[in-house]
Amino acid sequence: MNLAHRLEQIDEWRWRVPCDERLGMRTDVVVYASKAIIQKVVKDRSLEQAANVASLPGIVGPSLAMPDIHQGYGFPIGGVAATDFEDGVVSPGGVGFDINCGVRLVRSNLNRAEVRNRLRELVNQIFRDVPCGTGGSGFVKINLNELDDVLTQGAGWMVRHGYGEPRDAEFAEAGGALPNADPDKVSGRAKERGRPQLGTLGSGNHFLEIQFVQQIHDEEAARAFGLHAGQAVVLIHSGSRGLGHQVCTDSLRGMGASMKKYGIELRDRQLACVPIQSPEGQDYLSAMRGAANYAWANRQGITHFLRQAFRKTFSPDVRLDIIYDVCHNIAKPERYTVEGRTRDVLVHRKGATRAFPAGHSELNEAYRGVGQPVFIPGSMGTASWVLAGQAGSVEETFGTVCHGAGRLLSRTAAKKGRDVKRVVEDLRQAGIIVRSESKKGILEEVPEAYKDVDEVIEVVHNAGLAKKVARLRPMGVIKG
Amino acid sequence: MSEPFEILEHTADIGFRAWGASPAELFQNAASAMMAIAVETDSIEPRGELPVELNAEGYEFLMVDWLSEVLYLFDASRFAARRFLVDEISPKGLRARLLGEPRDPQRHPWELIVKAVTYHELKVVEKNGRWKTEVYLDI
Repeated sequence: MNLAHRLEQIDEWRWRVPCDERLGMRTDVVVYASKAIIQKVVKDRSLEQAANVASLPGIVGPSLAMPDIHQGYGFPIGGVAATDFEDGVVSPGGVGFDINCGVRLVRSNLNRAEVRNRLRELVNQIFRDVPCGTGGSGFVKINLNELDDVLTQGAGWMVRHGYGEPRDAEFAEAGGALPNADPDKVSGRAKERGRPQLGTLGSGNHFLEIQFVQQIHDEEAARAFGLHAGQAVVLIHSGSRGLGHQVCTDSLRGMGASMKKYGIELRDRQLACVPIQSPEGQDYLSAMRGAANYAWANRQGITHFLRQAFRKTFSPDVRLDIIYDVCHNIAKPERYTVEGRTRDVLVHRKGATRAFPAGHSELNEAYRGVGQPVFIPGSMGTASWVLAGQAGSVEETFGTVCHGAGRLLSRTAAKKGRDVKRVVEDLRQAGIIVRSESKKGILEEVPEAYKDVDEVIEVVHNAGLAKKVARLRPMGVIKG
Repeated sequence: MSEPFEILEHTADIGFRAWGASPAELFQNAASAMMAIAVETDSIEPRGELPVELNAEGYEFLMVDWLSEVLYLFDASRFAARRFLVDEISPKGLRARLLGEPRDPQRHPWELIVKAVTYHELKVVEKNGRWKTEVYLDI
């Protein structure tokens, strides 16, 4: 089903596929994109997937797609859907297998030149100290009781057990832990996979990147985030590892029968969903929160070992402070005004980032004046962005913006005709050192595999969802 | 003989198409395909055997459960499987043996970590006595 011909342009940055009941849709699809981006979007099946999302029972407002949208399973990646908290459904596929996959930006008190002088040494040290987890366990050793505490307490547990500094957990979405996580709803299998993997990066598109601030676009917000031009920072992209993947696998397994029970029929099995208020829906959400908390703890563990690597390489006085930590894959209860009515909804963000504007009550004091920090990684070799949430996000997109550049090429296509030595050498010429556990890891993530991140940022900035604060350039990349 | 499977393109992830003369052979080849994508299987010695028994409602759900089982055993460092023998299979379930050894993460690292087996465009079909499956993996 090709929906490209049904696309209507709303304005320079917005497009719509009108609701069509014959396709099972209950609402419109709205895509945030420039003309150049929309021409790429129509090439894969992401529009069709966004239309399928529009069929979810209890969906409130349109099925939304961010400019980094690309084909996923069930939900498109870059998809956002809010469902009525009382009458709507929760879709584990709308969160994804990597529950609370997310990014955290850490600022240093070093500048670009200082880091560049010892870059190779630093990259090698981080590579030793922050395992990607392909060859077994990480360096955080916990027993099953402690794992249960991690599932309920998230980043805070890590800080209290020596893997962080007192202010760390506060500088994360939800303070690094969602309330009401229930470890008993997380299967033994999920725990078995996750326990040894705490504090590991994972592979695929996960990475740890040493960057510098190339340009400041908004002085006031940059000051609030502690950023200045030429400063060295580190971006960490990781998720809930095997624990989260198993939670999603477990929940999807029983969902076919549950959907029959609740009379729900959908076009795509990966969209499987159950009423939020059903026992199955509540069980999933309790387990999902545990996995989300595990992910925050995981990024906290990575941060701890990152600090060690910096201090070994430079000096024990090096400061690394967390700016913020945001989820890309999550479902959260939030309140919005939709068509003049106050609605309690469950916002599914599948490859999308919360972006609350200045003044939002959920932001900590440091950022309440300028808006929530949002980090948008580009591909290795290009650039990443720091944004601040704007009022438009709360008005239009359930407080949400994009999460990355968005893939353009499949993994196979990315590898075709490319030689890993050449790719590494080209990046080195551009001043970027890459280390990865596998050749595949580098080739599949070449810069050409992604859309232009600047183009994506232009859309969300001009649509008023988030504003540009700083552009970051990579220096060192560690990949799984 | 050429490989009994081929790789399918997906923007973000990866899939495969596998074939078999029977459901049993199809399931064996599908598990081999997933492991070939994820792991250097030559590093695994087929010196041990692990029985697996699964119940499901239909071949498609059974395929996801079967591959998820093999994936879980590997990721939890229980068992690294190299060969697969499906002894009994019907749309209601299967009994099989995995040949391999307890996973030693040092010798058996992930080459590409597979997060999960998806239901995305999942197919298990039979045509003129030949069985075919298409499966997408989350990377």
